[in-house]
Amino acid sequence: MSKTILLAVTILFSQCLWAVTPIIEIEIRDHLFYPAEITIPADTKVKLVIINTDNAAEEFESYEMNREKVIPAGSKGVVFIGPLRPGEYPFFGEFFPKTAQGKVIVK
Amino acid sequence: MLLNAVIIILREVIEASLLISIFMAFSHKYQLPRRWLGIALPAGLALATLYAVNIATVSQWLDGVGQEVINAGVHIVVYLMLLIFLIFAMTINTDRYKQLLIVIMTIGVTFASIREGSEIILYIHGFIALPELLQPVLLGGAIGAGLGISVGVLFYYLLVHLSLDKGAKLGFILSLCVAGGMILQATQLLSQADWIASQYPLWDTSAWISERSVLGQLLYALIGYEATPTPIQVISYISALSLMLILAALSYRKAQS
Repeated sequence: MSKTILLAVTILFSQCLWAVTPIIEIEIRDHLFYPAEITIPADTKVKLVIINTDNAAEEFESYEMNREKVIPAGSKGVVFIGPLRPGEYPFFGEFFPKTAQGKVIVK
Repeated sequence: MLLNAVIIILREVIEASLLISIFMAFSHKYQLPRRWLGIALPAGLALATLYAVNIATVSQWLDGVGQEVINAGVHIVVYLMLLIFLIFAMTINTDRYKQLLIVIMTIGVTFASIREGSEIILYIHGFIALPELLQPVLLGGAIGAGLGISVGVLFYYLLVHLSLDKGAKLGFILSLCVAGGMILQATQLLSQADWIASQYPLWDTSAWISERSVLGQLLYALIGYEATPTPIQVISYISALSLMLILAALSYRKAQS
């Protein structure tokens, strides 16, 4: 019985370790995304940490990924994306869309 | 930059504008004092400013998803106010619930102004440091706001001039549209915050109506159009609207008997 519990706990624990969400940082500088292209694995949830070093707020937006978030000036914000199927998912800064463009490549 | 500002501000203004037109037309039809708007709008603006000023702090709450959770909460409050409004609007002839309806309309419009208002403030504020862009942004913003308010005024006069029966039907449909949009945005925000599971979309209608197009943007503001909704979003949307229809129908039947 105790062995079964131990096994269950071990499996559960390893599952938790398995499920650690990858973190990717994106910087907004002079109304541009750095990097402007990121590659993530298919069927995986990813945590984007978006750091805005400009002195104007930006809105991270993607129609394809259904994401929309204001990143305050000189601050940062977290956006979870995925799981996604393989393909390209553009994102942009809604407040400065001429320059702030990027995409997530899912492989 | 000008066109971009028009679309951003129009999209933010149109939701609150529609809600106000529904509530104001209702107040007009049932001779309720319309002073509540004079409380709701300044209160909404004050809270929007407070939110915009503290947005960096709020963003860091709850492991970086404070903004999503608060915004989702704001949308859910607006939905609930619309739900209560529809239930009690069905029994208005009893006169007993007029005070309650005024409170509900005030809270609804105040909350509807918070998120949209704060986004407008943050957007415009970013251009104060960029004088060469500030003018087109302000001009575009004024055009967008003007268009958004015009849509609200148009619906207001339409609702007021239709017969009581037809006006009530149109008002009911508009209320459902706004409420559906609130629920769709709330579920999207909670999935972005990883509070509810992210899922694959159920379908993709972006080839027919892209969310990037003007029509897509307008439909987004009017009914919460989403080209690639997830199963949770579709289920929440249908459940939220069904709940409204059922409760409003029950209330209507009770008022008739």
